[in-house]
Amino acid sequence: MIEAKGLTKVYGEKTAVGGVSFTVQAGRVTGFLGPNGAGKSTTMRMIMGLDAPTSGSVTVNGEPFVQHKAPLREIGALLDAKAVHTSRTAYNHLLAMAATHSIPKSRVREVIEMTGLGDVAKKKVKGFSLGMGQRLGIAAALLGDPQTIILDEPVNGLDPEGVVWVRNLVKYLASEGRTVFLSSHLMSEMALTADHLIVIGRGKIIADAPIADIISGKGQVRTRVRTDQPERLMQLLAGTGVSVEVHERELLEVSGLDPRGIARAALDNQVMVYELTPLQASLEEAYMELTKDEVEYHSHITTGASVPAQAGGK
Amino acid sequence: MSTTTLDRKSIRNSVGPGPAFHRVLNSEFIKFRTLMSTLILLASTAVVMVGFSALGAWGTGQITKQAAEDPQAAAAIAAQGGDLAVTVPTSGIVFAQLILGSLGVLLMSSEFTTGMARSTFAAVPRRLSPFLAKLVVVMVSAFVLTAVATYVAGLVALPILNNYDLKLDLGSSQSVKLLLVNSIYVAAVAAIGMALGTLVRNSAGGIMSLVGLFFVAPIAFQLIPGDFFKEASKYLPGNTISPLTAVEHVPDTLEAWQAGLVLGAWVVVPVALAMILLKKRDV
Repeated sequence: MIEAKGLTKVYGEKTAVGGVSFTVQAGRVTGFLGPNGAGKSTTMRMIMGLDAPTSGSVTVNGEPFVQHKAPLREIGALLDAKAVHTSRTAYNHLLAMAATHSIPKSRVREVIEMTGLGDVAKKKVKGFSLGMGQRLGIAAALLGDPQTIILDEPVNGLDPEGVVWVRNLVKYLASEGRTVFLSSHLMSEMALTADHLIVIGRGKIIADAPIADIISGKGQVRTRVRTDQPERLMQLLAGTGVSVEVHERELLEVSGLDPRGIARAALDNQVMVYELTPLQASLEEAYMELTKDEVEYHSHITTGASVPAQAGGK
Repeated sequence: MSTTTLDRKSIRNSVGPGPAFHRVLNSEFIKFRTLMSTLILLASTAVVMVGFSALGAWGTGQITKQAAEDPQAAAAIAAQGGDLAVTVPTSGIVFAQLILGSLGVLLMSSEFTTGMARSTFAAVPRRLSPFLAKLVVVMVSAFVLTAVATYVAGLVALPILNNYDLKLDLGSSQSVKLLLVNSIYVAAVAAIGMALGTLVRNSAGGIMSLVGLFFVAPIAFQLIPGDFFKEASKYLPGNTISPLTAVEHVPDTLEAWQAGLVLGAWVVVPVALAMILLKKRDV
């Protein structure tokens, strides 16, 4: 179990992580989702004691990571696929790490086989593809057979077969009762892998809920409404927590109020409504919705599908 | 939650050995010997030491031959205690200190430039343990390599010196002293290099600082007018080796014990500083 309390990291003027608190439970896969630069990696480095928090604290299995007697057997981490001296062979890299905890060579060979690195284990890491580097990082994380596993963007650079492998591996590890915490900026990946999701944007937690709740977009009910009196209806619906977007002359998208409430307001005021469609948000949309105010770097591609910026959501 | 805490405690006791110092030392030694670049630097140090010894033997032979006819050269030899041959095996020491000092820099700076440091300190989060283990590996290997290379260099020099009727006794007390003191000195330089590598976290910067300290500063201090720099020059780490190896005290240099203390301080201060910053800084 990982517990963060008010975890904060400030670099000079910039707050990378702004007082986040969350708990990662054992026995399930917890996804850590956020756009690039949201503070995922910084949070993970603080969990591993590599970066000191500016304030706040984080414990792994009840104790700060630094205080564990056998850290590698307690928590295994893939923080950066390139946390390797690339002039060393994969086998020697793992051997050196294993030696710190007297982990036998047989276990080194085991994780090499497990991660499918058998053929390249005696080659220098320099020649590895990004995917092979990821596999080596995962092998290193599994070395000590740890109770808690942290993987930062593990599927980056993996081939499709590797992506499926990671997905099955983390599910299996969680089913054994381990704590699995993995980050990604890809919501689609999270939808397939995680049981629980913590969403971070600009250093703040914006959602912490079971994946099902986030996919169903709870609290983010949107309804498509067609009416011949859009201005009138907008006035009627205006209120706290309700936002209305005008898409076409007679087409509105209302969020913050369910279809029944909209119909009631229309009926009471004699406004004709000729379409009332609840919109199911995909995880992708839900994620965009959650993070649209939190993304640090906006790309400016104008396509028809882009969501117009509008207040609400937060 | 209290029950899970209890469960965890009971699991953790059977979890297995943690990073005790001897294990971290073993890990650092594995890291040391599994890098081709390390082995190349060690081998080239040995080659340079042996090569310079052979050259030194030849050169010394030439000088003494001239001295037989040239009273001026004879006087120069007499001024140096009369025994030139004894310093022949350590002729290449200046280069050994440069290469092994750079090795010290590289072994630590590469941890940071490659990202290996994240693996190292994730496995052993108490950072001083890997630092000290690496320091032991660096210093012991520098010492052993210099000692062995010096002895081999002496063996290679013997037949050449014999040609010129010069005697070199590798078992004499001065020979043994030179071998040990030079080896300790090179180990000290390697330690300074490793401290610089930890402080700078950059290979080029670390090596440049080392070169600046050992090669540029002594020359610059001689060129700057004024007595202050002449005096300060004695306290540079690279200038401690001659008082340490002198047969007798040479005027206008430090006493051997003073030079020992100065060199010790040059090791302890950067190493202590490196340890403090390594603990404080983010990896």
